[in-house]
Amino acid sequence: MNNDAHHPESAPDLRMLSAFVDNELSENETAAVKEHLERDEQAAAQVAAWRAQKAALRALCGATTRDDTQFVVLRSRSSWWQRTAIAACWLVAGAGLALALGPLVPRLVGGDTMSFARRADIAYAVYTPERRHPVEVAAAEEEHLIAWLSKRLNRQLSVPSLQEYGYSLVGGRLLPGEAGPAAQFMYENQTGARLTLYVTGVPKDETAFRLFRDGNRRTFYWVNDGMGYALSGPIAEGKLRSIAIDVCSALGGRPEAWQ
Amino acid sequence: MSFEAEVVSWLPQLRRYARALTGDHAWADDLVQDTAERALARCKAFRPNSNLRAWLLTILRHLYIDQLRVRREVAVDEESAPWRNLEAPRGEVDGLMLRDVQRALYSLSVEQREVVLLVCVEEFSYQEASIALGVPVGTVMSRLSRAREQMRLMLTEGPDRQNPQENSHKSPSLKVVRNSS
Repeated sequence: MNNDAHHPESAPDLRMLSAFVDNELSENETAAVKEHLERDEQAAAQVAAWRAQKAALRALCGATTRDDTQFVVLRSRSSWWQRTAIAACWLVAGAGLALALGPLVPRLVGGDTMSFARRADIAYAVYTPERRHPVEVAAAEEEHLIAWLSKRLNRQLSVPSLQEYGYSLVGGRLLPGEAGPAAQFMYENQTGARLTLYVTGVPKDETAFRLFRDGNRRTFYWVNDGMGYALSGPIAEGKLRSIAIDVCSALGGRPEAWQ
Repeated sequence: MSFEAEVVSWLPQLRRYARALTGDHAWADDLVQDTAERALARCKAFRPNSNLRAWLLTILRHLYIDQLRVRREVAVDEESAPWRNLEAPRGEVDGLMLRDVQRALYSLSVEQREVVLLVCVEEFSYQEASIALGVPVGTVMSRLSRAREQMRLMLTEGPDRQNPQENSHKSPSLKVVRNSS
């Protein structure tokens, strides 16, 4: 850069003025711009407006509210290919087993099933820590909630009651699933512990009832009539399992097939 | 601090940026989730001692741009645009004025909005912004100054007023506000 750029007489361009607002100029340049602003009313007004803009943007978007940052979104540490490799190993092992045991194992598990359970687990991790906006539509509007999500999932949904376990419905939200939209229903008990029921369309049908673990969270999931269901929560496996069995039969599944 | 712990420590800022960028809390949460996952899956691609925050933001913006492409296919009309549903800017400052700033922010192109948010809200240096955006510092400077000027004109001239800039600086609707933090 030659000296002209720093010369007080040369009017700073938009870029210089903007860099001045952000303290990105050298001392000499800063001094030159300051001098210039004393004489150039319009440039001074521009700079003032940009400063105000910056302050306004900070006021608008600047807060990282503690309240909202409690959630932990991280799931298992292994990378996708490691997980895929492990899944593939299991698949091979499972295939071997299936061949060996023949009719005792009715059908193989596809990878798709697993991924919807994982999505359900992540959705649990992301949304249950929310205190202010855990759901999009609250249980107070249950009818609307069910109608809305049924419409989006293109399937008549029903929300089973978990009152007998002390959990009442908080509400639900719509989520992007892998093969289309998914619905998440959230339940809460008196101590604030939460469970979620995740529902989404699943292309292939299977009768298995499975468990997915991640950290202290457990997800029981199953597929029934083209729909995948996953019940997630950080409670004891046995308890969650019995709730899941109830939910399954409430939703028209056949839990006796899992026993 | 482990790599994972460091990534986690940046999540609040990532979330703030994602919210400002998308104007949509749910979308922002998804973006942060995806970013954290991708960052952990690709931790080997991160060069130690380089700028982790800029690296994370780069991942986030790539994901955002990808998702934007997909979502664009579903036409978004003005009325249902995500920022319409943002909660009202809170407290302390003049809510109406902030609404104008918000409107101006979302009328910028994505490229402009990114650089404005990085420098003004995230307090990135031009150097850091240039890394995160993958463009030269000079581009950061010109993009930013143009975006600022565009916002200023939008805020000083009402949409109906066709007046040239001549008098615009004499009646600015934008006033200095207190920073809420």
